[in-house]
Amino acid sequence: MRNAFLQLVLLALLLFGLGAAPALAAVACDLNNPERDVPRLFPESTSYKTSYVSIPKLGGTPLLRRIESRLGVQYLPLYAPIDVPYTLYEVYRDKKKIGYIHGVNQKGQFGGIQVFMSQDLTGRVKTFYLQKITGSAASKFREAKFAKKFEGLTLRDFDSYDPVRGKGTGRVAEIANPSPELETDFYGILRGLKKNLILMDEFVFAPERGKP
Amino acid sequence: MAENGWSLQARQLTRVYHRGSEQIQALDGVSISIRRGEFVSFMGSSGSGKTTLINLLGCLDNPTSGELELAGKSIFGAGKPLGERELTRVRREVFGYIFQNFYLIPTLTVQENVALPLAFYRKPGVEGEVERLLKMLGMEHRMNHLPGQISGGEMQRVAIARALVNRPEILLADEPTGNLDTKRAGEIGEILQDLNRSAGLTIVMVTHNPGLARLGGRQIEMRDGRAFES
Amino acid sequence: MITPFQVAYKNLLRKKVRSLLTLVGILLSTWVLVSLFGFNRGYEAALNRDIDNMGYQLMVMAKGCPYEAATLMLQGGKGLRYMDQSMVDEITRQPGVDRVTPILMQAFFDPNKGDSGGIAGFYGVDAGSYPAMKPFLRFRKGGWFHDNAANEVVMGYEAAELEQREVGDMTMVPEKNVPLKVVGILERTGSQDDGTIFVPLKTLQRISQTNQITTIGIKVKKDADMEKLENTLYQLKDVQVVSFSQVKQTVMKLIATARVMVLSIAIVAVLIAMVGVVNTVLMSVLERKQEIGILKTMGAMPGDIFRLVWTETLILCSLGGVAGIGFALVFARVTDLLARSVLPYAPSGGLVAIDLRLSLLTLAIIVSVGLLSGLYPAWKAGRIRPLESIRGE
Repeated sequence: MRNAFLQLVLLALLLFGLGAAPALAAVACDLNNPERDVPRLFPESTSYKTSYVSIPKLGGTPLLRRIESRLGVQYLPLYAPIDVPYTLYEVYRDKKKIGYIHGVNQKGQFGGIQVFMSQDLTGRVKTFYLQKITGSAASKFREAKFAKKFEGLTLRDFDSYDPVRGKGTGRVAEIANPSPELETDFYGILRGLKKNLILMDEFVFAPERGKP
Repeated sequence: MAENGWSLQARQLTRVYHRGSEQIQALDGVSISIRRGEFVSFMGSSGSGKTTLINLLGCLDNPTSGELELAGKSIFGAGKPLGERELTRVRREVFGYIFQNFYLIPTLTVQENVALPLAFYRKPGVEGEVERLLKMLGMEHRMNHLPGQISGGEMQRVAIARALVNRPEILLADEPTGNLDTKRAGEIGEILQDLNRSAGLTIVMVTHNPGLARLGGRQIEMRDGRAFES
Repeated sequence: MITPFQVAYKNLLRKKVRSLLTLVGILLSTWVLVSLFGFNRGYEAALNRDIDNMGYQLMVMAKGCPYEAATLMLQGGKGLRYMDQSMVDEITRQPGVDRVTPILMQAFFDPNKGDSGGIAGFYGVDAGSYPAMKPFLRFRKGGWFHDNAANEVVMGYEAAELEQREVGDMTMVPEKNVPLKVVGILERTGSQDDGTIFVPLKTLQRISQTNQITTIGIKVKKDADMEKLENTLYQLKDVQVVSFSQVKQTVMKLIATARVMVLSIAIVAVLIAMVGVVNTVLMSVLERKQEIGILKTMGAMPGDIFRLVWTETLILCSLGGVAGIGFALVFARVTDLLARSVLPYAPSGGLVAIDLRLSLLTLAIIVSVGLLSGLYPAWKAGRIRPLESIRGE
């Protein structure tokens, strides 16, 4: 019996493979451990609510086109069909909403980069967090001092800076690349952040502005 | 069966019921002959035996003793009581029945009620009988109504149509106007009379109603299980 | 013209609520029964599918304390036990062996995966023999490696999706920091291959600084004596043999208890539903005594009455059965999820497989049991004598 059971355990492990545990909706980003991560990204929070938004529900193809034109590039290359759900964390202090946490998956040099940010109710970046990045020198991007450079950033800061070409002025241009050998990933992070800000603007802030 | 002048012959019909240890003689050696085309009414008080007699004549029951013949063919009398299947066979060939309580199927329309016997047994040549009978009895305009939507008199007409759909030789009517008011009772009486006179239908009726009894040619009084012809 | 069938179904409409409740009882019991049958079929089929997807029927791996190895693997990728590659030749020589493929599984620690890092698993396979074991694997883009020592990877669909990789992109082996090029991305298979990163065997051996392997996949000849082969393999030094048919048997045994339990529940549910049917029809017969008596005066034989009442049972059971099967089909997904949450191991793919044949079989069972239950009320109705019922006011 023990032998049979052990065979089963082994087989189950082999069948499920080691490591690469694919998430069901691998394209969109979920926090690995929201219970732990939300208080860390938003220290003054007491609770959070998870909701799911998707482009078809919020505006369909016109919305998609708007997002693409704002990004300036073909936005949805691989693995991202229009109806993929985006996980949005609404953060509360007691009963009052105080901000949002949202993550996007961005293509990096050696693997996917999961770019998370927390925003206050005006859309200003409070904290910046890379949940996942691949590459030996990539750990520099996960250091606190790099993350600090993004605090207070808004979408407007990207008006004067194009992360695709890597050219421009303003706050974003002043952020130095801590890992020059991973230039692709650096600009990927910036593009991921801009994408995140635009999506949040379209999903949350623009509709709120439009309310009477 | 359709020969001229056949008769329904009953000889010394007796029926004894057992209620616990008690024995009740409902019928005491009744002999009677009913010819084709006759309209016979049996009258009498409750317990006189008229209902028992009509049940035996109509093959709804087996006698305790005695004989019953139709057109010379024995129905009861071989000594052995007939089983349910044999009784049913005789009933459906010869008799149609109407009762005081109409007994229409409430979930079927008037037309369906009349056609119902044909679902179980059909004599040859009865195509179109349903429509013909409904028309004859003045019920074709109520064809698609349910029994709950028509009056008592209309229900009895439907019951008559149903009883006649398989062209029986004899119509047995057990208190057909018992649940009707005078006017409707009169109408039913006329219908029965008409059926007897113009269609030559043999009718055997039990009734409390003297007026109704007089519509027929023959009246027989029942008393204490015996028949007395007037 | 009216038919006895119409009389029967119209009669059921007389007491709509009662008929409906009886129907619901049959519906629920049918639902359980057909779902169970579907599960029995689907589970084994899904299990077979998973095993077929492996491409091989037997696996040989280094002997160790498997439990320990399993937990260590879960915790950090260390503690895997290795085999010498010469074992491959030894096994190939065995009668009954059709093909073999050596495999090296390795796990590396990635500090940048999540907050405290995570392990990344790689599957080293032989460029020649492995694809031949799985000819049914389809590529979304690209293809297998060019040779056994190339710095290349082939990714399962979901692995590529997670890492946002396309053919031509680079990927990195963490801990060793070796970049590899993506040369192929597989189509979704619905199996464990979707999450796997395949690397040429020699490449992974080089990265891991070993010339050993962890597993050998064995494809058995069609007419081979599996048991004999297994026994021979058991004799090999320092290895253990995993036979998928054995694993399948183990898994099936594990769920057998669950299956028996659910079957018992299904049988009880069917019986209870049938008691409901008997009750409904019998009550209806007793309520219609006079009517049945009148039917007999109209020329209905006892057999006609029997068939009439039996038809009512037939209608109830057929409708309830069909509705139950319909519900089972509609909610098959829910049943699937329920089963997955309860079972110790659930293969990929649909677990509940209800097809036409199964539906008809279930319907036949329900109707047969129903008709059997309906015998008594129908017989009772047939025996009613017209006089007793008419007179019994």
